[in-house]
Amino acid sequence: IQEDHKLSASELEEKYGTSTNKGLSSARAAEILARDGPNSLTPPKATPEIVKFLKQMVGGFSILLWIGAAFSWISFGIQFAQGAESPFDNLYLGVVLALVVILTGIFAYYQEAKSTNIMASFSKMIPQQALVIRDAEKKELPAEELVVGDIVEIKGGDRIPADIRLIFTQGCKVDNSSLTGESEPQSRSCDFTHENPLETKNIAFYSTTCVEGTATGIVINTGDRTVIGRIASLASGVGNEKTPIAIEIEHFVYLVAGVAISIGVLFFIISVSMRYKILDSIIFLIGIIVANVPEGLLATVTVSLSLTAKRMAKKNCLVKNLEAVETLGSTSVICSDKTGTLTQNRMTVAHLWFDNQIYSADTSEDQTTQPFDQTSSTWTALSKIVTLCNRAEFRPGQENLPIMKRIVVGDASETALLKFTEVILGDVMSIRARNKKVAEIPFNSTNKFQLSIHETDDPNDKRFLLVMKGAPERILERCSTIMINGKEEPLDSEKAEAFQTAYMELGGMGERVLGFCHLYLPENEFPDTYPFDTDSMNFPTSNLCFVGLLSMIDPPRSTVPDAVSKCRSAGIKVIMVTGDHPITAKAIAKSVGIISATSETVEDIAKRLNIPVEQVNRREATAAVVNGMELKDMSLQQLDEILCNHSEIVFARTSPQQKLIIVEGCQRQGAVVAVTGDGVNDSPALKKADIGIAMGIAGSDAAKNAADMVLLDDNFASIVTGVEEGRLIFDNLKKTIAYTLTKNIAELCPFLIYIIASIPLPIGTITILFIDLGTDIIPSVALAYEKAESDIMNRRPRNKRRDRLVNEQLAVYSYLQIGIMQSVGAFVTYFTVYAEQGFLPSTLLGVRVNWESNAINDFEDSYGQEWTKYQRMYLQWTGYTAFFVSITIQQVADLIIRKTRRNSIFQQGLFRNKVIWVGIFSQIAIASILTYGLGHVTALNFTPLRFQYWFVAVPFAILIWVYDEVRKLLIRRYPGSWWDKNMYY
Amino acid sequence: GLILLFYLVFYGFLAALFTFTMWVMLQTLSSDIPKYRDRISSPGLMISPKPDTALEFYFNKSDVQSYAEYVSTLRKFLESYDDSKQSQNINCTPGRIFDQNDVAVKKACRFNLSELGQCSGKEDKTFGYSKGTPCVLVKMNRIIGLKPEGEPHIHCTSKEEGMVEINYFPPDGLIDLMYFPYYGKSLHAHYLQPLVAVQLAINSNSTKEEIAIECKILGSPNLKNEDDRDKFLGRIAFKVQMTE
Repeated sequence: IQEDHKLSASELEEKYGTSTNKGLSSARAAEILARDGPNSLTPPKATPEIVKFLKQMVGGFSILLWIGAAFSWISFGIQFAQGAESPFDNLYLGVVLALVVILTGIFAYYQEAKSTNIMASFSKMIPQQALVIRDAEKKELPAEELVVGDIVEIKGGDRIPADIRLIFTQGCKVDNSSLTGESEPQSRSCDFTHENPLETKNIAFYSTTCVEGTATGIVINTGDRTVIGRIASLASGVGNEKTPIAIEIEHFVYLVAGVAISIGVLFFIISVSMRYKILDSIIFLIGIIVANVPEGLLATVTVSLSLTAKRMAKKNCLVKNLEAVETLGSTSVICSDKTGTLTQNRMTVAHLWFDNQIYSADTSEDQTTQPFDQTSSTWTALSKIVTLCNRAEFRPGQENLPIMKRIVVGDASETALLKFTEVILGDVMSIRARNKKVAEIPFNSTNKFQLSIHETDDPNDKRFLLVMKGAPERILERCSTIMINGKEEPLDSEKAEAFQTAYMELGGMGERVLGFCHLYLPENEFPDTYPFDTDSMNFPTSNLCFVGLLSMIDPPRSTVPDAVSKCRSAGIKVIMVTGDHPITAKAIAKSVGIISATSETVEDIAKRLNIPVEQVNRREATAAVVNGMELKDMSLQQLDEILCNHSEIVFARTSPQQKLIIVEGCQRQGAVVAVTGDGVNDSPALKKADIGIAMGIAGSDAAKNAADMVLLDDNFASIVTGVEEGRLIFDNLKKTIAYTLTKNIAELCPFLIYIIASIPLPIGTITILFIDLGTDIIPSVALAYEKAESDIMNRRPRNKRRDRLVNEQLAVYSYLQIGIMQSVGAFVTYFTVYAEQGFLPSTLLGVRVNWESNAINDFEDSYGQEWTKYQRMYLQWTGYTAFFVSITIQQVADLIIRKTRRNSIFQQGLFRNKVIWVGIFSQIAIASILTYGLGHVTALNFTPLRFQYWFVAVPFAILIWVYDEVRKLLIRRYPGSWWDKNMYY
Repeated sequence: GLILLFYLVFYGFLAALFTFTMWVMLQTLSSDIPKYRDRISSPGLMISPKPDTALEFYFNKSDVQSYAEYVSTLRKFLESYDDSKQSQNINCTPGRIFDQNDVAVKKACRFNLSELGQCSGKEDKTFGYSKGTPCVLVKMNRIIGLKPEGEPHIHCTSKEEGMVEINYFPPDGLIDLMYFPYYGKSLHAHYLQPLVAVQLAINSNSTKEEIAIECKILGSPNLKNEDDRDKFLGRIAFKVQMTE
């Protein structure tokens, strides 16, 4: 526990062996640097690249394929030892399988590395410099080289380079928001004000910024030992949850692997009991595994996800972790920050009150005029006060920028007022120049007003104008009259009442209200040469004329209300978590729709019914505003109750640590939680959340590191477009998987029938790989470009437990219906090829042993002709090619039917997704190249095929299309029926 | 229940569809000749008897049992060439292709067993195995419509010089053109393919040694015998090892 804040400067000098004037000696500093290490946060331990790579090699289906490869090599070894004639086939097959695993592994690794690199560029920072006193000299050093005991000087705008005990300050204020979430700058002094080092004023923390003033201090902690360093290491302790899509893919891999292994083992047993040789049975097993495993699918899923990630990046959602793309789609609760995310993060004038009336101002991001009534001469007076009683100035050289984008030197309220007047009156700076300032009292927290005295720009009016702004009640105290329609009227109790009402109303909207008053100093008492002295205040500061009120708020971004209502219709609960005051939080929540217009909090009901809060039935309130102080004393059950019972929740005055509690609470309800955050202290919550969203502009590096996604424009609305993309990709991945799984049956059936009916093998293992990794790849990626079938933002988020990526219906429909149809079509082609060459179907049954015998070179066909072994093999490869081509042709139909799950293809538009046609074209092109281009390479087992065999399966392809259209029609016609339940995937 | 019924109907329909398309496909085929014969443009060679172990003959000429299987295989193979079975066959004009395209009922040409001389099994019931002069019958695979050109004949060579003397029946291993073309099982039911008997007179010094013999079809430009991949296309290799 740090005690440094309690020590005096001289005690500190002694403790750290330093001197406030001379600093450390370079030699001593080097010693300490060697002992403590550089002053930087250790980056979270990255998994070594080789481990990441190996993980890709054994993940997913890789294990199954390795087993297949191992079996191939084993059977090669046995055959080689037995001296059989062509044992190299199995050696090659093993090598090919291993290559498939390695290549898909490299591909997945590359994809992952690419998305990590995007992030790496983010965390690169410009090396920070610090002004240090060493060897009695001021030096600029890289902040990394700071050591404990160094004397550093900081000034407004600097980032604090280490934890520093301040020994000299001048008007120093720091922004601790990255540490505590508190957005108000806090003043710093040399005094020990609090036992807790986090609360005391004489310590400035690493990574916070100095907003204004200057300070000098002794470095007391560096690197990971700083407060922020300790929090950052805490964040790495929060476990990383598996993403929903990772769970879904795992589920799918288990399913397919389960099917593969059980069919494999079943047929291994069958073939052994059918008196096949063990070796043959093993070779069958390899074939079954290869046919069952969709080798290209995981790569396709990765590509689809990264395509979506790219699309999301264009919409300002930068996804760090590919799988997070879908997580966003299944999100059911968004815990959003207020400042900057829901709001524009700048104070803006929202309302005015003068002439006994409230006017609203335009608060949108790109305002160029103000629409309210500006004809009253009260407004003229008010605008003059607002213009003159303001110290904020535009930074020079921004004349071409829109007013709202210009950078201003000054605090948030003054900036708002400056921009407001600039929009209405134009060139404020020249107005100020024409009304020369002769005296000024800046705002301070004791008198709570700001005052200045100006000459007027009317050459005939020699009077001075005293203008004042400040806390409304303080301003009113100093006024005896009030301006109504340009005329000064005495401030009676009725008018004071009107002021109170307006003040309450504006304050009730969560707005920061300022009062404005003025006084023309009588010319005779205050001549041109009158010496105004702000210390003795030799001018009147009471009996002024009250002119009006202005209220300011950090207004919501204009796109947010729409985004929130989209979330609402998409069944996503938006919870606001903010460090702000409950009233402000509630006002913003209401204006963006997080709390809808009709719902009430417990307090609202109490007020309406005029009963104490305790008597209100809590269930009646749909909305809740929970104060951080209440949250602190709440038990987990109470929190759960709030999260359960209220659909509209605002957490105000919360600390970033409480965010973690809220996230955990939501997760206990089974929700998939997205959390936004920018501060370092948000990082545990960002990590804990199912998807952590860091702010790209306001976010700290620690937050970006902990997050899964970075919101480049800090805009809540971008999250909603992200959700839409995430939901779309889930639907589209379903389609991709359904498409890919279908042909597995058409690849598997040949093996099963080959084993049972002993016909010549209809399709080879290598050929299967050419479908899985050749013709099918581009079409399955093309499905990722499919547009949504209906408004996906109008349905509830998917239920993690019920709405699986690969559900029973999908597997059954793909495997047992479309897959079987494909198999039938392919078998018709197979039998046609054999029959037209002389082997009628009846001759083929049970011929396997003789057919494959190397010794039989006079194998008789149905017409009495005799075939050598090689002639039969060549015919068998022609069979492979025909089977391959048939599957390809039917996969075209499969691709088209997978475009939609419910709508008719004609509703969806056959040509809207152009990439599908690229896919179809690629499929046909690859198949043609394999058949005609590589048809003479024996090892590939393709042969040039007669043109007409391409069309044998076409009727079956059409049948698949028609059948699926009927299926969809019945689903649409009879929702909820037996058909719908069993056939909709 | 309903789901079972559904699949029953569904698969029933698919089975019917499969049967129907297969039936349609089979209707387009002729029962006489296959639609395409491009996969067997050139015939392979095969021998009889055919040992189980990869075309290697091992026998002891003084041990009847050791070659009994070869002899019985040959006997069985030649049964269909028996004169009694060839009563319907006609004598064709030697040296000429026997075209019967216009005739509805295709006639088969007679192949006289006597053409096989000492290997006909008539004089030597053991086909020379007991004398150390084993006979091996070489036949060319049947291919519908194949018309050999030139003067096809079987020629065998032994890698090892002087170990074996090779005699052919009919002389020079000639395959007569009159046996071609073949019209297929259904039209040409009694067709008998021409045979060439190769008699290997093994040198008495060379007993106990493995003799590799390769037989090729020569003299016909349209019968291939040098294919890289198909080791049986117009050629056949086998080994003989005789002990005493």
